[in-house]
Amino acid sequence: MRLPLLCALSLVVTATAQDAASWWAWRPLLRPPVPDVGADAFVSNDVDRFVLAQLRERGLRPAAPASRTALIRRLSYDLTGLGPSPADVAAFAADDRPTAYAELVERLLASPQYGVHQARHWLDLARFAETNSFERDGRKPAAWRYRDWVVDAFNRDLPWADFLVQQLAGDELPDADVATVTATGFLRLGLWDDEPTDALQAVYDDLDSIADTTARAMLGISMGCARCHDHKKDPISTRDYYAFLAFFENLRPYRPLGGNGGALSPENYTRTLPVAGALGQQEAATAAWRAERGALAARAAAAADAGYRQLSPRARVALLADAERGLVARYSADRSDAQQLRDDVAHRDGAIEGQVVPVDGRVGTALRFDGDDRVVLPLLVRDSFTIAFWVRSHSHGRGDSNDPRWYFGDGLVDGEVHGEVADFGIAWLGDGCIAAGTGAPDTFVASPPGHADGQWHHVAFTRDAASGRIALYVDGALAGAATGSTAPLDAPPRLVVGDLQPGDHGFTGDLDELCFFDRALAPAEVVASALQLRGGVAAAAACGDGGSALTAFAALPEPVVATATVLCARETGARPAPSFVRIRGDVHQQGEAVVPAFPAVFGAGPPRIEPQAFGQSSGRRTALARWITAADNALCWRVAANRIWQHHFGRGLCRTPNDFGRLGEQPTHSALLDWLACELVARGGSSKAMHRLIVMSGAYRMACAEDAAALAQDPQNDAFWRFDRRRLSAEELRDSMLAAAGTLDLRIGGPSVYPPLPKAVLATSSRPDEAWGTSSPQDAARRSLFVHQKRSLQEPLLAAFDLADPDSSCPVRFATVQPTQALMLLNGEFAQATAAALARRLEREADGARAQLERGLWLTTCRPPLPAEVDRLLALHAELCAAHGRSPADALQRCCLVLLNQNEFVYLD
Amino acid sequence: MDREPHRSTFCGRTRREFLWQLGAGFGALPLVDLFARDGVPPRRGGPTPHGDPMAPRPPHFAPKANAVIFLFMYGGPSQVDTFDYKPKLFALDGKTIDVDTKGRGGQKRQGRVVGPKWRFHQSGACGKHVSELFPHLATCVDRIAFVHSMYADSPLHGSAMLMMNSGRIQSGAPCLGSWATYGLGTLNQNLPGFVVMLDQTGGPISGAKNWSSGYMPAVYQGTVLRAQGEPILDLARPAAMTEPEQRLLLDALQQQNAAHLATRSSDSDLQARIHSYELAWRMQAHAPEAVDIGSESERTRALYGIDDARTADFGRKCLLARRLVERGVRFVQIYSGGNHNDNNWDAHGDLVFNHTLHAGRTDRPIAGLLTDLEQRGLLDSTIVVWGGEFGRQPTAEYEQGTGRDHDAAGFTMWLAGGGIPGGISVGATDELGNRAVERPFHVRNLHATILHRLGLDPNALSFFHAGLQQRLVGVAGAEPIRELV
Repeated sequence: MRLPLLCALSLVVTATAQDAASWWAWRPLLRPPVPDVGADAFVSNDVDRFVLAQLRERGLRPAAPASRTALIRRLSYDLTGLGPSPADVAAFAADDRPTAYAELVERLLASPQYGVHQARHWLDLARFAETNSFERDGRKPAAWRYRDWVVDAFNRDLPWADFLVQQLAGDELPDADVATVTATGFLRLGLWDDEPTDALQAVYDDLDSIADTTARAMLGISMGCARCHDHKKDPISTRDYYAFLAFFENLRPYRPLGGNGGALSPENYTRTLPVAGALGQQEAATAAWRAERGALAARAAAAADAGYRQLSPRARVALLADAERGLVARYSADRSDAQQLRDDVAHRDGAIEGQVVPVDGRVGTALRFDGDDRVVLPLLVRDSFTIAFWVRSHSHGRGDSNDPRWYFGDGLVDGEVHGEVADFGIAWLGDGCIAAGTGAPDTFVASPPGHADGQWHHVAFTRDAASGRIALYVDGALAGAATGSTAPLDAPPRLVVGDLQPGDHGFTGDLDELCFFDRALAPAEVVASALQLRGGVAAAAACGDGGSALTAFAALPEPVVATATVLCARETGARPAPSFVRIRGDVHQQGEAVVPAFPAVFGAGPPRIEPQAFGQSSGRRTALARWITAADNALCWRVAANRIWQHHFGRGLCRTPNDFGRLGEQPTHSALLDWLACELVARGGSSKAMHRLIVMSGAYRMACAEDAAALAQDPQNDAFWRFDRRRLSAEELRDSMLAAAGTLDLRIGGPSVYPPLPKAVLATSSRPDEAWGTSSPQDAARRSLFVHQKRSLQEPLLAAFDLADPDSSCPVRFATVQPTQALMLLNGEFAQATAAALARRLEREADGARAQLERGLWLTTCRPPLPAEVDRLLALHAELCAAHGRSPADALQRCCLVLLNQNEFVYLD
Repeated sequence: MDREPHRSTFCGRTRREFLWQLGAGFGALPLVDLFARDGVPPRRGGPTPHGDPMAPRPPHFAPKANAVIFLFMYGGPSQVDTFDYKPKLFALDGKTIDVDTKGRGGQKRQGRVVGPKWRFHQSGACGKHVSELFPHLATCVDRIAFVHSMYADSPLHGSAMLMMNSGRIQSGAPCLGSWATYGLGTLNQNLPGFVVMLDQTGGPISGAKNWSSGYMPAVYQGTVLRAQGEPILDLARPAAMTEPEQRLLLDALQQQNAAHLATRSSDSDLQARIHSYELAWRMQAHAPEAVDIGSESERTRALYGIDDARTADFGRKCLLARRLVERGVRFVQIYSGGNHNDNNWDAHGDLVFNHTLHAGRTDRPIAGLLTDLEQRGLLDSTIVVWGGEFGRQPTAEYEQGTGRDHDAAGFTMWLAGGGIPGGISVGATDELGNRAVERPFHVRNLHATILHRLGLDPNALSFFHAGLQQRLVGVAGAEPIRELV
């Protein structure tokens, strides 16, 4: 049994609903009166009245205001995660209009980079990562779309209630669209064991993680330990826990409940949806396209049939011979046994390894591969060829649909040879993309994603040896073409079907009618094959408008319904199975039955659950989301307000933002917290309105002052007598280095990027060649939020600077100081390259060492440089040139390394 | 500066201290974590320099050992072909018998016995039966305590690896090495406290999850050390930078930082960061020396098998492990086997090929390590642990061949040094070597034993995370293996 960890030490507290009601966080939310502190220069708004009242009680005074240069830097980082440019600093410092600061606030709140930075805080709470952990650490399909949804939600200031409702139940909403469904990716971010030792336990571990993350992130309740026994300190019983879990229990599991095979069930957690408009609106367009395509196909087929029937038997034979010209082998899969895949043309039979079972096929029977089977064929192609087949799958495949290298995917037909050789292959990639290619030099073609729909698709890959042209057709339409090597293919002696040559890339799905030709079929021939035209192109062309129907079919543009496959919630239907308490956390021991309910201590009454209109979902999650976000759910709003405060002051008013229970800490300013929570509700749940309120306060604008007496009296700064300095987060640091160098790419969204990793880091993976992807230098310089987040391999700089561990909800990052960080910033490839880029920028933007170093100081400290420090760096520069024989350019680069290592660069006043 | 810099945070997190004080005040309470909740530094040791989370800390009680070398036989060595002598199994070779097994291939009720493929001979004063796979280790049995009755929760690599390393089958928890350095700090700030050396073929599955600090700060995660080339990531200066030049840059940096600190003198984090650059500078000087085996005698190198191509790689790593432990590194983990299939001990196909390969690469180096540690007086203070994430079944996995599937229900690990008595065998599997039947020990008991030898109470060493006092040995706790302590 997998027990969640040790519950905190049990003191002699017997929690009852009565004393729960007396606990600060669980009390109803009532707007506290704003303290009357009279007139004081410190007070800018009501926030300050709460702060000042407590300072006075403790005999403390607020620190003086921060300098304008410190303030703009602080504000820029807090709102956007990026520092201000020297021009912005200079302009703000010189702007003494009373509205200058408020205008700056508005400008930063309106910046799209605002959403990028705010998203990071939420993604830490949601334990966002793009892979599943466990030994394969497989990729979650399109997890980046959820990340982009979060960025966008902050940028459009989605009201907080909607923000939470859409993540819990965006698929159940009456006006659900691709965005609200994408939001439910929140429920699919956990650790998934694709080979569990106990399948039921694995699924409940995921449910536990979902319920626990929801409770922590949205309500500040820690209820994980109630999985095994009643909470020792908070009034959460085991029954409460399982009643809460029941809200999620109808989610389709990420893998089948039985067996311990390696397959996940992507059809349970993904949907392919139109990217624009409400769901259902676009379906008509797609249906019309399908109908038209079907009609054209029928016309062509009828014409071909008619043409064929008009022919003499002799001509028919000639026509069939022509259609099959160059056919080397055909595996219809209709006459095969457990060991042999029969060739219908000659006797090039294939050997089946594993258990490829026959299933109903496109024609007759097809072969079903379940991820660890393969068929080995003789080498059937060498120079020009066509490989055509039908494929059907729900699987999303290995590899990235944005990276067409077939040899990272699940093998369909593979002739790969390791190394730079003229090999070839066809594979099924992530998000249902089909890719193919030839080697030496590597040349790829790929289809768009979206074929993991459980429908049959016709695939043809052609290569013309004379021109080197390769082409990939899906369902008769050209998906991609490229020109590669004209050399004879140097494929291995056997071809592998349903896997890659080296193994461990097994395909999950069905294949049928696999044909090999020793020539590249013409496009029309491929269409004829896709339409299964009797007698081929010639027969169709011979009769009526058959030829034109074929042409029209090939040319019919897909409707402009762009679709996206999203990671999302899906339920098993409108009527969930009954839920039970699991005794002592053992999923195999059912206790009493439970129905979805809110923890009893809230006295909220039974949830109102209405099944979703079209019967796919129970409506339970909607009921939960509505209760969580109700205006009178004090916890939700206290927790949200506390987090907004936390990300301005470095700590929440309650220092345990994920735990407002008795194991957490009491807030230092409970009245202020309640007042902010009331303001958040009153302001329609607008995060931006709250940022505005908080950053306009005098408390936010205080200096990080030194005051020995105050420090002695309030060493933790509980009372906010000064502003607390903080270290930049991992992402802020990396982004700031790139920004200083002028190479930061501010584009937002899309699939994640792969900054180059040191070989030594890749070598720690069990498959170093496949552990990480590649990105262009420009993509590699995207903001850190867009760096691929892989559970078993983190970007080393980000990891060293305390990236959140994505395996559980992280409310507060660590901020460690370690020598390995210094080594990375002194010697690391990234630091070296960034220093070099910064040096080149300085050379472009300033003349002479002094001006260059001044500019460098500006860029790294966001303030005007002091003469003494310019002199210091200039002396360093001179010594590097004189005593170490460095050129001015090399010396500048070394000075830039110093700039990027300064404490002032890494810490924020 | 005339006053002690005020230290109010631990790794940036501020915590109320009441729980720690409670712990200190009520001696009868079962749990006393070192850094109350997720963290205030302990009162007991007083403020550490700059609140350094790696500073040495006193153990709970007098330790028997201060370092661990964990030889991880990734993939799962077969117990019945190595140290768990099952004489009856030889005769059953090829016979199909009723036996309950659970492995990669699922649960089975029957199987074809694969008799042990190597003969066993008695060795040492204790007369321990050791297979011919380990002629060198056979000479060391009087220093070794064998635990034949190990069991684990999962018979699948990914989760079983995590369990052996972190006590849980899901990722996200700190590893044994993290707990050791969290509990005790490190004795040498010029080297990492928790070092991992990977196999030449690559990392184990799940990669860095196997040496992750999970919910603890990254300072407690394992540092991958390479036996050749640049030992630690980013340790080496770039080729174009000389040592005096880098010192010049550091001096300029520290002047700049000192000027910055002048008006911020109460901030201990800024001071810590200044200090960290000097530590990094010293690490650059010390770490290469620590991994330079050039000063070792020919005799020592030969002891570890560095003179033989087959054993040179693992031998070098074992020798490095001794050098690191000598220099105060707390926890060293060496992987035998990496990557997939027969690149590690995962002998599904040809058992003889696989185990001959991996035992052949490791037998002499490990024997050399034990001998060398003893000769230098280090074995008493160093625990050497040997084993994989599970063992292998007595029956065949496939219709043909000698390959064995995984077996988590019973397997062998051994420990030596650190005051652990040698020449003993604890627990037993059934007569097939399939399942632990006599004094079964969970992985948690192994972890508890190791922590206990280090002077840490496994049921008291805790870290507050996610509302819970987390422990390596989990909710139920675990006792050390009595015979070994």
